[in-house]
Amino acid sequence: MISYLDRKLWRDLRRLKGQAIAVIMVMACGLAMMTMARSLIYSLDSTRREYYQSNRFADVFDALKRAPNSLVSRIRQLPGVAVAQSGISVQVTLDIPGLEEPATGNVRSVPDVGMPVLNQLFLRSGRWPAPGRRREVLVSEAFAQANHLHPGDSLAMLMNGKRETVRVAGIALSPEFIFEARPGAALPDNRTYGIFWMRRKEVASAFDLDGAFNYLSLTLAPGASERQVIAELDRLLRPYGGLGAFGRADHPSHVRVSDEIKILRTISIGFPVVFLSVAAFMINAVLSRLLALQRDQIAILKAFGFSDRQIVVHYLKFALVMVAGGTVLGGIGGILLGHRLVLMYHRFFRFPDLEFRPDRPAFPMALLVCAFAAFTGVFNAVRRAARLPPAEAMRPEPPANYRPALVERTGIGYLLSHTFRIAVRNIERKPMQALFTVAGLALATGILIVPNAFRDGVTQVLDYQWDTVQRQDVGVGLVEPDSIEVEHLFERLPGVISVEPERRAFVRISFGNRRRQLAIEGLPSKGLLNRVIDESNHQIQLPPHGLVVSAKLAEVLGARPGDLLTVEVLEGRRPTREVRLAGLAEDFAGMAAYMDIHALNRLLEEGDIISGASFTVDRAKWDAFMRALKNIPRVSWVAVKNSLRENFRQTTAASIGLIEKIYMAFAIIVALGVVYNNARISLTERARELATLRVIGFSRREVGTVLITELVILALIAVPLGLLLGTGFAAEIVKAVNTETVRLPLVLTRANYAFAVMVVAVASAVSALLVLRKVNHLDLVGALKAPE
Amino acid sequence: MIEDPGQVIEPAQVFRVRGLTKVYGMGAAQVQALAGVDLDLYEGELAVLLGPSGSGKTTLLNNLGGLDVPTAGELLYRGTDLTSADEDDLTTFRRERIGFIFQFYNLIPSLTARENVALITEIARDPMPAEEALEMVQLGARLDHFPAQLSGGEQQRVAIARAIAKRPEVLLCDEPTGALDVRTGIVVLEAIQQVNRELGTLTVVITHNAVMADIADRVIYLSDGRVHHVRKNTTRVPASTLNW
Ligand SMILES: Nc1ncnc2c1ncn2[C@@H]1O[C@H](COP(=O)(O)OP(=O)(O)O)[C@@H](O)[C@H]1O
Ligand SMILES: [Mg+2]
Repeated sequence: MISYLDRKLWRDLRRLKGQAIAVIMVMACGLAMMTMARSLIYSLDSTRREYYQSNRFADVFDALKRAPNSLVSRIRQLPGVAVAQSGISVQVTLDIPGLEEPATGNVRSVPDVGMPVLNQLFLRSGRWPAPGRRREVLVSEAFAQANHLHPGDSLAMLMNGKRETVRVAGIALSPEFIFEARPGAALPDNRTYGIFWMRRKEVASAFDLDGAFNYLSLTLAPGASERQVIAELDRLLRPYGGLGAFGRADHPSHVRVSDEIKILRTISIGFPVVFLSVAAFMINAVLSRLLALQRDQIAILKAFGFSDRQIVVHYLKFALVMVAGGTVLGGIGGILLGHRLVLMYHRFFRFPDLEFRPDRPAFPMALLVCAFAAFTGVFNAVRRAARLPPAEAMRPEPPANYRPALVERTGIGYLLSHTFRIAVRNIERKPMQALFTVAGLALATGILIVPNAFRDGVTQVLDYQWDTVQRQDVGVGLVEPDSIEVEHLFERLPGVISVEPERRAFVRISFGNRRRQLAIEGLPSKGLLNRVIDESNHQIQLPPHGLVVSAKLAEVLGARPGDLLTVEVLEGRRPTREVRLAGLAEDFAGMAAYMDIHALNRLLEEGDIISGASFTVDRAKWDAFMRALKNIPRVSWVAVKNSLRENFRQTTAASIGLIEKIYMAFAIIVALGVVYNNARISLTERARELATLRVIGFSRREVGTVLITELVILALIAVPLGLLLGTGFAAEIVKAVNTETVRLPLVLTRANYAFAVMVVAVASAVSALLVLRKVNHLDLVGALKAPE
Repeated sequence: MIEDPGQVIEPAQVFRVRGLTKVYGMGAAQVQALAGVDLDLYEGELAVLLGPSGSGKTTLLNNLGGLDVPTAGELLYRGTDLTSADEDDLTTFRRERIGFIFQFYNLIPSLTARENVALITEIARDPMPAEEALEMVQLGARLDHFPAQLSGGEQQRVAIARAIAKRPEVLLCDEPTGALDVRTGIVVLEAIQQVNRELGTLTVVITHNAVMADIADRVIYLSDGRVHHVRKNTTRVPASTLNW
């Protein structure tokens, strides 16, 4: 049985529905963002954890040149090692029909019989390569999808210089390749890079690794120290060309998923807090207004004997209805958005089954947060009203006190029109209402800045990478470093305009007790193709001695130009040298170190040797060039700039486009809601005043102007603040993204700002117009009757 | 006809009202606020509308002032038909011709006395300075006070100043003293009388207090939405001498 007080509640709510909806929508935005981000964190995190667990993802990894299989038992005996698994990992070049550039791949071995113990594969379709059946592979799902490969298809693979045709037995996924990208690449290019699994005997014989391994994974015993195990392992594998063991924290795929979770964490707290504060205030404003209108009703209820508590509860129920509405809508919105975004993650992250998983604890938490925000917002106002002695409450509210506004007290008051005076005095009399309207509009403006700043940042990185740094059309890597003779072979390929050699060598660079493993790139001192660029966008001429490294690497090492770095070469003769840090390069993906190619070769104590080259190619002879390249057995990988670029552009456009749409929807809702609410409250509060103006001869437009001037002033304050706020948001997120794998510059364009201003202006105007229509229906005669 | 057309010097007619009817609501809830009012109002006169509560005084005044449109009947302002005017015409009519004074003053709380009056000067064609209008109602000393800082009588006098500042042709006052005590009410009536005398504005004052009728040239008695009768005062009594 619904009490009469509750009936009153519903009828009052019906009259307030516009404002209640505005509040609910703003609240829902905050909650949707919170539940979306938290659910995505939960989905990624728990799915990854379960995947790791069920497929036994290793804890420590190491690549080496070649070690006898007998070594594995010694590794297993190292203190702290639980399970160790040896295998083979090699680079191959692929010839995919329909793909103009050669693709490259990483072939991993699987045991000849049975399945891997660690890093177990998930078979999506097809079957395992039959034992004893030759030339069968499993293909990673991302690569298979990008190239439309199905079980039963075949493809050509250059294995250690020999062209082989292999059949796709099945499509698989591995916990080692949730993020599947060429090492060091910030974005995946699944068309040109894939992972393959082959029975071990076959890989071993193709690469002369019979009875040996070159890749190791292991899990730690409970309580074991990862650091110690890594140190032991490094010592043990050193003679076998160990490239340095690393834990999950340095595992490229693992790190990428973790970075994404980090970004989501930032989003899941920052935005919702602001949204909810604005919503809380909106509830406060709506209810305060309602209480003022219902003073006499409260008095009558009390005169009839309703207790203060009953009255407080009655009005708090208004807030509760809005909170409940916001929570339900926000929850549903968060789930729907989460579902969409999870699909976007499918482009980047490969799980056997990445489903959207709602973070259930997030919902009661959201309800609590919202209810808390709403109740703190209104509790005092409600209690004050309930405490009013009935006799006093029956009298109308005393007239509002005004005084000249601050701007007028500065002495320029005489310049102001009356409309303007009414507006500024109203703003000053209700500073909190003004503040939160400004906050809401600023927030709406601010969140629009973020996705576009992201997009502009990515665009700039890509342009920078491919217009400024890498001016070659094609980059090529060799299976093994080779003599300079190869360069002459390259020069004679059809269509080649220019070639520049490159030498890569795996090293460990340390400074103090910090160290990182990476490849030093040896380049011509003042190359025209592959260039090293400094912070102020000038090319760095690589010095005859010394090292130029990514600014990020120097930061990670804590080194400054002039410092002596220890370079421990992890291949060939493995010399260790002190090299001076000569300069800092500006780059945005991974971490790099550069040296003059001759200096590097001297350091390596090997003669003139190259491991790859950069080309510019005559477009007219492009096809011939590509065909020739595919037939050079020593080529291990090929990167074609334009197709990489186009592929990245599409990937980022799709994902940022979606996020932009979501943020834009939120911004529009907030702007609409905040302006509508503010204007409606002003309208009810001042209906009498505005009707009086109409009676004494002001036209609708003039009266509308009085109402709108206030909003325009608030918007003019809010928009610049919003641009600042958005800049702050963007800077904060860029900082969260600033990792060793990817970095983004903070790019804020005028177009970005202009777009944000425009969207907020249009949304506010629409909202204001909705309210202005009500000015036409002001009750002129009613305004002359006794005040409310 | 209650009016006697055979007057010696006929002042110009401002309003001509014939068979004016106003019906509120529909069906069973219908209320006939005006049931055929016949009335003429002339330049410069001060008329008092008298009648019991609910007799249609406010409705008649609102129709005269272009705030409300009649359901049927004839309503001419200086020969112009107000019944067929649209919303914009009525706004212009109010803006240029009519000054309103309400029982509850209806000042803009965020504007000072001077500004409340000056506000009108933004939309009027030939306004008088706000200070002059306020001087006429003896408020020259309280120009920069906000409504909340003024007493009821003072607020009502600001409202009068606001109404006259645009030099209206008609001043319509709906129970201007209704919310005031006797002494203050008299001060307000004096101000209205003074405006009528000095500016020659046709002034219609609603009251349900018969004593106040003595300040008028004519007293129009309304009952049940009709003009019951009209009394012509031979002498106008100054408001200051009223006593009740
Ligand atoms: N907006 C309205 N809707 C319905 N009835 C109304 C409205 N305004 C006035 N009335 C009715 O019309 C009649 C005359 O009202 P009114 O002109 O205000 O009388 P008075 O001013 O003489 O007291 C009353 O019965 C009143 O209830
Ligand atoms: Mg009345």
